[in-house]
Amino acid sequence: MNNGPLIVQSDKTLLLDIDHPDSVECRRAIAPFAELERSPEHIHTYRLTNLGLWNARAAGHDAELVIDTLIKYSRYAVPHSILIDVAETMSRYGRLRLEADPIHGLILVTTDSAVLEEVIRAKKIAPLLGPRIDKETIAVHPSQRGAIKQSLLRLGWPAEDFAGYVDGQAHEIALKEDGWKIRPYQELAAEGFWHGGSGVVVLPCGAGKTIVGAAAMAHAKATTLILVTNTVAARQWRDELLRRTTLNEDEIGEYSGAKKEIRPVTIATYQVMTKKKNGVYAHLDLFDTHDWGLIIYDEVHLLPAPIFRFTADIQSRRRLGLTATLVREDGMEGEVFSLIGPKRFDVPWKEIESQGYIAPAECIEVRVNLSEAERLLYATAEPEEKYRYCSTTKTKSEVVQELVAYHAEEQILVIGQYITQLDELSETLGVPLIKGDTPVKERERLFAAFRTGEITCLVVSKVANFSIDLPDATIAIQVSGAFGSRQEEAQRLGRILRPKADGRSAIFYSVVSRDTVDQDFAANRQRFLAEQGYAYRIIDADDVFQGKM
Amino acid sequence: MEIRSFADYLRGLDDAALLRLFTHRADLISPVPPDMASLAVRASSAPSLARAIDALNAWQFQVLEACTIASEPFTEKIVATLTDKPAIFVIPGLIERGLIYPADDGLRMPTTLRELLGNEVAQLGPHSMAKLNLKKLSDAPPSAKKILEAMAWGPPRGTVTDIKKPGAGVQWCLEEGFLIPYSQTIVVMPREVAIALRGGKVHKEQRVNAPEASYTFTAKDRKNINSAAIANITTFLRWVEEVLNFWAQDPPTALRSGGLGVRDLKALALHIGVDESCAAFVAELCYISALLTIDPDDRILPTTNFDIWLTQRPSDKWLTLVSAWLSTSRVSGLAGNEDSKNVAPLGPELDRVNAASVRSLVLSLLQDHRDGAITPDSMVAIASWHRPSKRIGGIHPSHILFTLRESEWLGVTGQGVISDYGLALVKQSSLEQIDSDLPEDVDHILIQSDNTAIAPGPLAQEIAQEMALLADVESRGGATVFRFTDSTIRRALDHGKTGDEIARFLKATSKTPMPQPLEYLITDVAKKHGKLRVGSTTSFIRCEDQSVIVAILSDKKLDGMGFRRIATEVLISELEVDDAVNVLRNAGYLPAVEDSKGILLSGTRIMRSQSKARPPRIVGEIDTPTDIVLEGAVRVLRTGEKSSHRQSTLRNISSSALGELPRSTANETLELLSHHLTHSADKSLSIGYADNNGLISHRIVDPLKLSAGTLVARDHATGEITTFRIARITGVASL
Repeated sequence: MNNGPLIVQSDKTLLLDIDHPDSVECRRAIAPFAELERSPEHIHTYRLTNLGLWNARAAGHDAELVIDTLIKYSRYAVPHSILIDVAETMSRYGRLRLEADPIHGLILVTTDSAVLEEVIRAKKIAPLLGPRIDKETIAVHPSQRGAIKQSLLRLGWPAEDFAGYVDGQAHEIALKEDGWKIRPYQELAAEGFWHGGSGVVVLPCGAGKTIVGAAAMAHAKATTLILVTNTVAARQWRDELLRRTTLNEDEIGEYSGAKKEIRPVTIATYQVMTKKKNGVYAHLDLFDTHDWGLIIYDEVHLLPAPIFRFTADIQSRRRLGLTATLVREDGMEGEVFSLIGPKRFDVPWKEIESQGYIAPAECIEVRVNLSEAERLLYATAEPEEKYRYCSTTKTKSEVVQELVAYHAEEQILVIGQYITQLDELSETLGVPLIKGDTPVKERERLFAAFRTGEITCLVVSKVANFSIDLPDATIAIQVSGAFGSRQEEAQRLGRILRPKADGRSAIFYSVVSRDTVDQDFAANRQRFLAEQGYAYRIIDADDVFQGKM
Repeated sequence: MEIRSFADYLRGLDDAALLRLFTHRADLISPVPPDMASLAVRASSAPSLARAIDALNAWQFQVLEACTIASEPFTEKIVATLTDKPAIFVIPGLIERGLIYPADDGLRMPTTLRELLGNEVAQLGPHSMAKLNLKKLSDAPPSAKKILEAMAWGPPRGTVTDIKKPGAGVQWCLEEGFLIPYSQTIVVMPREVAIALRGGKVHKEQRVNAPEASYTFTAKDRKNINSAAIANITTFLRWVEEVLNFWAQDPPTALRSGGLGVRDLKALALHIGVDESCAAFVAELCYISALLTIDPDDRILPTTNFDIWLTQRPSDKWLTLVSAWLSTSRVSGLAGNEDSKNVAPLGPELDRVNAASVRSLVLSLLQDHRDGAITPDSMVAIASWHRPSKRIGGIHPSHILFTLRESEWLGVTGQGVISDYGLALVKQSSLEQIDSDLPEDVDHILIQSDNTAIAPGPLAQEIAQEMALLADVESRGGATVFRFTDSTIRRALDHGKTGDEIARFLKATSKTPMPQPLEYLITDVAKKHGKLRVGSTTSFIRCEDQSVIVAILSDKKLDGMGFRRIATEVLISELEVDDAVNVLRNAGYLPAVEDSKGILLSGTRIMRSQSKARPPRIVGEIDTPTDIVLEGAVRVLRTGEKSSHRQSTLRNISSSALGELPRSTANETLELLSHHLTHSADKSLSIGYADNNGLISHRIVDPLKLSAGTLVARDHATGEITTFRIARITGVASL
């Protein structure tokens, strides 16, 4: 027993006591190979996963380092089985390598011919392979570079990809640091990505992922395709690139439902890429018909399945994934690992917050008591209507009005799921509403007005969940959410985390009906934030009405 | 004294030598033999010798085999020539064990031992009868050489196509006497020839020393070994506790064939988070340590020993488990799907005779090789040198691997090297070091706002029990992560805690302030808990007029009827509806009965059976048959008669043709016999009679009478009156 800050559990979780003097040092040591699962106030939970260990191998760490770190910081003796497991898992990475070969094109090389024999015999892999060259080498159809990486990962023998990248069509891009400076962690992230070739950068909302993208483009100095979630996000990327880089308006194109421009830097939406025309994806050609030197995937945790399929075919192009969380509600983390690349950079939210790059935030759950009549109605509602009913009660809108009045001096976003509820709120509060059918022009005008302070309060539907940059919003009031989606809650909190000019802290209110499914879903959503260290405080609606906050 | 036999030799031994003999062969004194003669008989009995042979290592066994080859009496020198020089160091040991003994004219061995080792010791054939000129072996023609070389190392028998037309090589060998014809197609190589071909040795390889051990890594620091072992010990003690607590709440039912079912094993493995073989081992160990038992209702339940065990110091807890493990004959590693047959843990099929000796062998080898983690293959090789156990074809490698695996789980080894605790166990010295090396218990938890609590070390027993009630365990190991959910809080409330008690306990136990969401969770659940009440009752009494209800409750005549008021208008009672009505009527009330739908039942009910009518069968009487039935019966009889008549005629023809007894059916026999008895009772009969096995014998009898399916008659062969069963009489003919 050596009194270290770390406890290694037999289920491969690592508990880090952050009140321990060595905790910072220990966190730094384990971050490369362990995935941070939760970071509440006292003990952070990391997990050793296969992907995490392989990520570490990809970053050049070996099993000995991992084992030494575990033993060094562990408070109790580390279960032997875990050490063996770590060594075994890590030794699986890199036994197979994909390499470029002047004669055969793409080859799969191994240092352990038994492994090669095993994978060659796998049913899913055999069709992807060409002729056997020698005992340790086999040719791979160049078009199957992505597919073979996917299949090998599933077999548990992830291949290291040394086949290199095409440079793409060169295009001069540089950062234009006038009046602002790239933050150290952004630079580290961009460099980490560039040295790894391809991969994912994980940064919290509001930590400036766009700038990491821009810095990566400045490294690549080549034509770039940027994939984003929606049109508004596309416009924000464009604005940001114009501000932060040497690119001018003619060099940036938008490829969306509205416009189909292809320029040296093209920003496309997931929606248009996955749009089907007569049963075929009409726009996926965009990937292939141009000689891109870099492809950036914004919000990689939302990447739709058809894009994965296409990404498998463009493995020779550099790919950068940007996201706030690698948690995918569909569990396709393995696809991200094999097709976009391993995680290249990660930093906990709280750490960036403590460095002052994102605003500190307070999360408050307001528990609303339903009136007697509402409770009766709720009790008799059809099961599928229950959530809708309890999350849109009248009492809620009264609380929202009260909160808006209380924070009258600040920039407020009211976020919700149900359009009728939002319509009603927009009317009672007398503020504009942005929803799915609001024209892009109108949206942009309203966001601009919000930024300048012309409007202090906006009601928005889920269209504003992602990539909308509203630096001055300090208050978010969530009235209803998409059931229990954890990443949605994180994204919504992210809306108000951009650092404020005056260093004020942000407040995230979540209005929840007591004793209903709303409360259960809210608990599920908040779990993610609580795990990220954002403790929730619960207050009663009555306290709001009495101004006790 | 002249030593002419083994018994003589034993008589001549001094006490020290006898003690050595008994140390090596403990079976000789259980029970203690009455005299030297019986000791000699026992010591030279096959089972005792077999045990003694099994305890030899490979080299000792080789020397013993060489002794068998040497013709009696033999000397140490001869044995050394047949094997290797160091054999002379082994021979005294063999003498000590009473496997060979010095007689007046040299060394000899008990005859039984020779038989026990078999005819073809070390794949050598029989002695040659003829005098051989072994020098000619080197001049063998190439074809013969090939044959001789092929047979030199055995087996000593070879097959030829035809001994009368042998090939040139075989021909030469046969002529020289280097092969002896054994049968039409088999030739045998005499012992002398094979030994000459083997270069004067019995064995190809003289296994004087145990094979070299190979290590996966060398242990640089005993501290690491011990810390790994202590982690294993902690983990194992925790597993045991968890398995027993798990089954205490939800005991599985043993299979009809005995043991734990596959599904229960899977659930157990899942619960403690290990693989099934490990779970089976933990369960088995609890079972053999008497912490767990299968009760008469076939439920698998912890025993009261478990409660005692829980209060013990870790070192004692561990010792209880490990000593049971060392001595048991059960091999838990066999549990699981072996050869498509499922062997259940805790079941009757896990016993193996040499289990404990394999375990102690492996432990002593681990003790000898503590410089590093010995590889399993190397361990198997060394173990099989130490205990070739020829009789059972050697120790099964898997048993050695099981033992290695189990030592690691138990913490006898750490990282594959025997730990200080393991050494203390083997030397039977104090295990107190375990208590001081184990991490200290912690008496607090850390509660966090994501509704988890963490015990940053092994939790003190009473807190652990309380926490097990309040929260689910999410992660185990050095620390424990608990998660509070509404269902865990409800579970605690169900066990009679109140919300306040829970909150007070958590506040007192937690080092960190109680997060607000958890406090809300507890109050929320506590508030809702028990709002809805469910109970059972036999009848209810309701009345819209509350005064009647009050009257019933205060009625002296109804005292002791156990009515309970659960609402202003409702009483419940444990009485049956009819009884309740009668009681109330007798007390002067006018109750009416209500059915389950609330409909008033007035007056007597007219009831109908719900099941199908099934009138009773008529017994004894027979229906008068109709004409059709009668006619049918006659027709059937006639047809049957015709066909059996024809058959018997045919049989008669065929049997008389063969000159045997005629065969008749039982009916025909009966007819013939009664005819005979009435018409010519004084004449003898020839009958065929079948015995129990169906063998037919021919008897000549004087029939006396027929009674109850038997023929009473005097048998000429015995002169006695015997009864013959008609059905067994196969045929009758008068003489």
